[in-house]
Amino acid sequence: MTTPTQATTPAAARTRTPIGAPGRLENDAKGGVGTSPQRPDGALKVTGEFAYSSDLWMDNMLWGVTLRSPHPFARIRAVDIAAALATPGVVAVLTAADVPGRNVFGLELSDQPVLADDVVRYQGEAVALVAADHPEIARQAAKKIRVDYQVWEPITDARAALGHPTWNRLHDHPAEDVELSRSAAAIHPKGNLVRHLKIRKGDPDEAADVVVRGEYSVGMQDQAFLGPESGLAVPDGEGGVDLYVATQWLHVDQRQICTALGLTPDQVRLTLAGVGGAFGGREDLSMHVHGCMLALHTGKPVKMVYNREESFFGHVHRHPAEMRYEHGATRDGTLVFVNCDIYFDGGAYASSTPAVVGNGGTMGIGPYVVPNVRIDAYGVYTNNPPCGAMRGFGSVQTAFAYEAQMDLLAAELGMDPIDLRVRNAMAEGSVTPHGQTIDSPAPVAELLQRLREMPLPAEPDGADIDLRSLPGGVANSTHGEGVKRGVGYAVTYKNVAFSEGFDDYSTARVQIEAHQGNPLVVVHTAAAEVGQGLVTIEQQICRTELGVENVIVHPKNTDVGSGGSTSASRQTYMTGGAVKLACEAVRDRILTLARDRTDAPLDDAALVDGNIVTPSGAVLMSIADAIGEAVIEETREHHHRPTEEIDPETGQGFAHVQYSFSAHRAVVDVDTELGLLKVVELACVQDVGKALNADAVVGQIQGGSAQGMGLAIMEEIVVKDGKIRNPSFTDYLIPTILDTPPMPIQVLEYADPHAPYGLRGVGEAPTISSGPAVAAAIRQATGLPLTRVPIRPEHITGT
Amino acid sequence: MKPFRYARPGGVAEAVRSGAEQPGSRFLAGGTNLVDLMKLGVERPDLVVDVGGLGLDEIVVDSGGGLRIGANVRNSDLAVHPAVRRELPMLSQALLSGASGQLRNQATAAGNLLQRTRCVYFQDVSKPCNKREPGSGCPARQGDHRNLAVLGGSAACIATHPSDFAVALAAADAEVAVTGPAGERTLRLDELYLLPGEHPERETSLAPGDLITAIVVPPLPFGTTSAYRKVRDRASYAFAVASVAAAIDVTDGVVRDVRIALGAVAPKPWRAHRAEDALRGLEPTASAFRAAVEAELSVAEPLPDNAFKLPLTANVVVSVLSDLTGASR
Ligand SMILES: Cc1cc2nc3c(=O)[nH]c(=O)nc-3n(C[C@H](O)[C@H](O)[C@H](O)COP(=O)(O)OP(=O)(O)OC[C@H]3O[C@@H](n4cnc5c(N)ncnc54)[C@H](O)[C@@H]3O)c2cc1C
Ligand code: SF4
Repeated sequence: MTTPTQATTPAAARTRTPIGAPGRLENDAKGGVGTSPQRPDGALKVTGEFAYSSDLWMDNMLWGVTLRSPHPFARIRAVDIAAALATPGVVAVLTAADVPGRNVFGLELSDQPVLADDVVRYQGEAVALVAADHPEIARQAAKKIRVDYQVWEPITDARAALGHPTWNRLHDHPAEDVELSRSAAAIHPKGNLVRHLKIRKGDPDEAADVVVRGEYSVGMQDQAFLGPESGLAVPDGEGGVDLYVATQWLHVDQRQICTALGLTPDQVRLTLAGVGGAFGGREDLSMHVHGCMLALHTGKPVKMVYNREESFFGHVHRHPAEMRYEHGATRDGTLVFVNCDIYFDGGAYASSTPAVVGNGGTMGIGPYVVPNVRIDAYGVYTNNPPCGAMRGFGSVQTAFAYEAQMDLLAAELGMDPIDLRVRNAMAEGSVTPHGQTIDSPAPVAELLQRLREMPLPAEPDGADIDLRSLPGGVANSTHGEGVKRGVGYAVTYKNVAFSEGFDDYSTARVQIEAHQGNPLVVVHTAAAEVGQGLVTIEQQICRTELGVENVIVHPKNTDVGSGGSTSASRQTYMTGGAVKLACEAVRDRILTLARDRTDAPLDDAALVDGNIVTPSGAVLMSIADAIGEAVIEETREHHHRPTEEIDPETGQGFAHVQYSFSAHRAVVDVDTELGLLKVVELACVQDVGKALNADAVVGQIQGGSAQGMGLAIMEEIVVKDGKIRNPSFTDYLIPTILDTPPMPIQVLEYADPHAPYGLRGVGEAPTISSGPAVAAAIRQATGLPLTRVPIRPEHITGT
Repeated sequence: MKPFRYARPGGVAEAVRSGAEQPGSRFLAGGTNLVDLMKLGVERPDLVVDVGGLGLDEIVVDSGGGLRIGANVRNSDLAVHPAVRRELPMLSQALLSGASGQLRNQATAAGNLLQRTRCVYFQDVSKPCNKREPGSGCPARQGDHRNLAVLGGSAACIATHPSDFAVALAAADAEVAVTGPAGERTLRLDELYLLPGEHPERETSLAPGDLITAIVVPPLPFGTTSAYRKVRDRASYAFAVASVAAAIDVTDGVVRDVRIALGAVAPKPWRAHRAEDALRGLEPTASAFRAAVEAELSVAEPLPDNAFKLPLTANVVVSVLSDLTGASR
């Protein structure tokens, strides 16, 4: 798991540091693994002192803006920048011809131009850049750039893009295959298929007593982070650049920037600026290369900040999905087979579509044991907005479908929906559809049984009803008449960390020295803190492993090795694991120094409360005395155990390193006349292996539950003819506190023997099971099939 | 944003003069709608006349219970005014169901009435829109029209008026007091708002320089039995998908008088005269309410994605009137 300490190249001497660049985080909080100390950035955030990336500032800096395509699919015949360049105050106008390196980037496939040079494939694709001494001047100048487009008809249906039969589906009516779609133009040279994942297990034609079929669709969700894309690029005067930016994975950004700029990694240095939320939407590049190009071209620092509207075009979204499922079971409710077709609309560029298809496909039938499985999952190019990573990553979409199917099957069998799930639940030792044996606890049945045992919220009693507790809330929309209550359940599992053979690792550097007689630790990783609390976890691990109180979190930058992505619920596992390894190495060196100062046997010694102690607790010496004048520093990489690529024809293979499990019960009141609803309670039980920080775990479950609920009942980017119709938070609705119910939460801790401290990644699973539970509750209240989310008033009133 | 001149007149007359002299000028009140639209490039005034310093922020209650609401009265202040809550609960409820606390603190009564449509094409300057650019076309019919009009639209435009407050005012027979270059006049809401016809760019009968100084609400004796109800996509902070303001007087077991206005279904707050006429003299039953609203909606011209508004609106009307009268359903 460890590799020797690597020498790192120090950053080129930076001339100036911008205002708003991150500082070292330190606080007086105490507490190691298993406690819930205060976050080192918490006070700054609640008092408004925390600098986000949009707060970055340098005197003499320029402002960059991006000109974007208004068309979803068009050829660029010509770009005329003369009028823009002649605008007083404008310093530079750049187009594709000015990209110094290769004009291409992409997370998994390099298929997206930094600036479009020939064809634009989605509305909002970047075409040109302007730098000026004032943002408004830059915006006005961008409007003067004349782009001559030959507009083409966009391809906006994923099945049509592949030439597959189109499902002619009206809402909640069974579909018919309509003839093969007219073959669509290829959006990319190799065609419109990004990935086709096949799973073939057992015999899909096995006979079943009962078969249920359904078709489901999920709208496009936005990450809806509050801090828009922003950053500041500072040229170093020697051809290199320092970029301060809000992102999720500094090193993968650096790699792509280097390619596009034709520079080496030591010339492109990244520092994580304050991140205002991410949820997957910052895994792809936004202003990174653009800002650096303008900075290198003008020789001045360049700041770019998207406004809210541009932000909707500046990051990828959650893939919309169309899904068709067929479940077969015996009379007693044992699943015999599941067949399904899943279409993920990836939009114009691949982003992380291949991995989304991988997750959505391999875990596409949920945490159930099924002997015969056929899954065909497709990721497709269209001219819709590009889709990529978002919390839940492919599993959110399929969970809506497979959990609806389980309820349908339960109804068909006359069985209790929990009993049906428990009967088919995965457990440790079960084999997944992709042929992987689950080799750590998998308490699927227990999650459901615990939910069933949790008390239900009280029924409204008629008198003194608080309007806020009714569907429609303070809108005075309903007075309780015609309100029906429904209860729904859903359970899910989700892989943690990167899968399918990817060499996934994180790096940590830990330094200790004695400062005024006390040991002081600095922990340095490049793992992005995006609000989830990794900085707190890093401090906790150092405190536990090194027996010290004072732990400073170094700013996150590329001076240290990669921390991997802050995604896939992986950072506590991966970077937490790296910090633990680095601490262990530092501890060994402390003990080596101590041996010079004592004859006492130290092989079993531990570091506790600033001292080196024997197993019986006797203090041998203080850590500070052992260190003396030395500065100890160790850097370690933490690789998780290897996974493997799945077989291209059968989909079989050890694809995922770890799974996390969660289940929800939703209680929803529905006004069936007015189409309004109120989620009364959203209860969750989740296994986290080991809660390193219990408060942070509950926070993740609450946030994830709300985000999943949002998709079920209101969140959707409306795309018509390839164009986003609601790029604002006035028109793209996310739940407010009035929509958000009480959330009773139970956290289970069944250790995973393969993971540091036995922990499981927490962040995504609750986002996956909450929405399907809410949808199930609405179905139960209304008796309607409701096969599309988000569910809107008109779906409930049945019109 | 297009550069503009900014003026802060000392009095109503000066404001009117500035507004009338400069074509393409706009009055600025709370700015919550105008400034947003200027940022989007939808509104491109050459001159912005800030009327925030003109006073016009008093609420006067006359002895009969009528109200004179200054144009600049903040939505929050109006919503909690004791006389409004007592005499016309539907006005207060409509205001409180709109926007958010912060916005209501900033938004004014006149500004609320004159806020522009939320039609997504109107707000997107890269798209054609007859209202924004006369003659350029209306992409909404074929495109996104889920929240657009089923009543009162035209081939040229099917935008809806987004205000909640205006719906309650329409039910209350309110008028606006206007001072223009030619002097003062009052307009019924019916006269203030124009249907799009062939000229969706003309939304009101106000001419350049016409300043609303007050909203006049005549006494409505049965206004105490009134309510506003709004269906929307989340519990707060969202525009209406369907809404109803209604006041009803039931005497001796029959509907003596009734006021019904519908929101989010038409280019202006839609006073449901047909439904009112159908109800007068009838017993207040749910079936009578349903028949009345269906009569009103019989002239509707729904499109595929907004047809749901018809049954939804009917349900809201029936539920509000049933609540107000205690009719069983
Ligand atoms: C996020 C959001 C959500 C919202 N939700 C709702 C909602 O649910 N329901 C709802 O009803 N509204 C809603 N609104 C709209 C809000 O109510 C309006 O923006 C507000 O009422 C406008 O008032 P204002 O004073 O800010 O007007 P301004 O923006 O200042 O002006 C609006 C228009 O009125 C004109 N004007 C202003 N005063 C006068 C005058 N005295 N004489 C002549 N012309 C004048 C201006 O020239 C301008 O054209 C929402 C707004 C936002 C931003
Ligand atoms: S409905 Fe009216 S506002 Fe909307 S696009 Fe058509 S013309 Fe413009």
